[in-house]
Amino acid sequence: MLDLDMTPYAAFVWPAWGVSALVLTTLTARAVIASRKWKLELDRLDIAADEAARPQAARSAVEPKERPQAALGAVGQQE
Amino acid sequence: MFGLSNPQRFMAFTGPLTPVLWGLAAVLLGVGAWLSFSVPADYQQGDTVRIMFVHVPAATLGLGAYAALGVSSFFALVFRHALADAAARAAALPGAAFTALALFTGSLWGQPMWGTWWVWDARLTSVLVLFLFYLGYMALRASIDDEQKAGRAAAVLGLVGLINLPIVKFSVDWWNTLHQPASFLTPGSSGLDPVYLPPFLTMLAAYGALFAALWLTAIRTEIRRRRVMTLRARSAQEA
Repeated sequence: MLDLDMTPYAAFVWPAWGVSALVLTTLTARAVIASRKWKLELDRLDIAADEAARPQAARSAVEPKERPQAALGAVGQQE
Repeated sequence: MFGLSNPQRFMAFTGPLTPVLWGLAAVLLGVGAWLSFSVPADYQQGDTVRIMFVHVPAATLGLGAYAALGVSSFFALVFRHALADAAARAAALPGAAFTALALFTGSLWGQPMWGTWWVWDARLTSVLVLFLFYLGYMALRASIDDEQKAGRAAAVLGLVGLINLPIVKFSVDWWNTLHQPASFLTPGSSGLDPVYLPPFLTMLAAYGALFAALWLTAIRTEIRRRRVMTLRARSAQEA
């Protein structure tokens, strides 16, 4: 059975739990956002590096002509 | 164990483990919170005893995270291992946050029980010093542009800070303090009423799982960030 009546110590108990929840949520959100950001960035660079490493003939045989230029442009935006 | 010092093996091993830890932490935090508000109020401390369920785990993980930072710093400094350096860096922010939470919740617990928000006794002061070591570690890393030099300088500071851990732990035994002595890890008896053990242990496990999830995620992020920097530098050289 939950007891949520903290009288007369509500002013101490709820801030302790509230701030703990806020800090732990912020830590979690920050970790997840940073993880996704760098994963996406690494995936993008890996794809761009693979594109650049493929021979020009192989690229033009399987893809439209604009694609390699777009990929190279994406790498250039990182600099 | 040492096989995991290879970043590729580390990423492969921790890839499936990290979501499990996040899930475990979420479940344990939910159950722990429910248990914490289900137990009866203490006959002396009243409902303030519920602050213990967030204060003690935060303090424990604040110390544990610094131990992880210090040991990682040792391996980074002695063996110049990049993964150890990443592990030390990744432990700093969660450790600082847990220590700050321990100080804040301890203050909220101290006011109704001791009649004061803060007192310069050995336990409180040594935990404040621990928090300052965390801040110093992060500030030092951020202040040096060369990442290798920053890592080495911060590792030295991280190792020096290890001296403070036994001071924090045994401060209540070595000096006369307002803070109570260790009541849970006392040989023979926990000193804690058995009714409070389930919420206490559940919250302790929850904080432990959360720190493990945060730490592993941060190490994985750091490995990816360094890989991105390497690729960008290579791309710039080729251009």
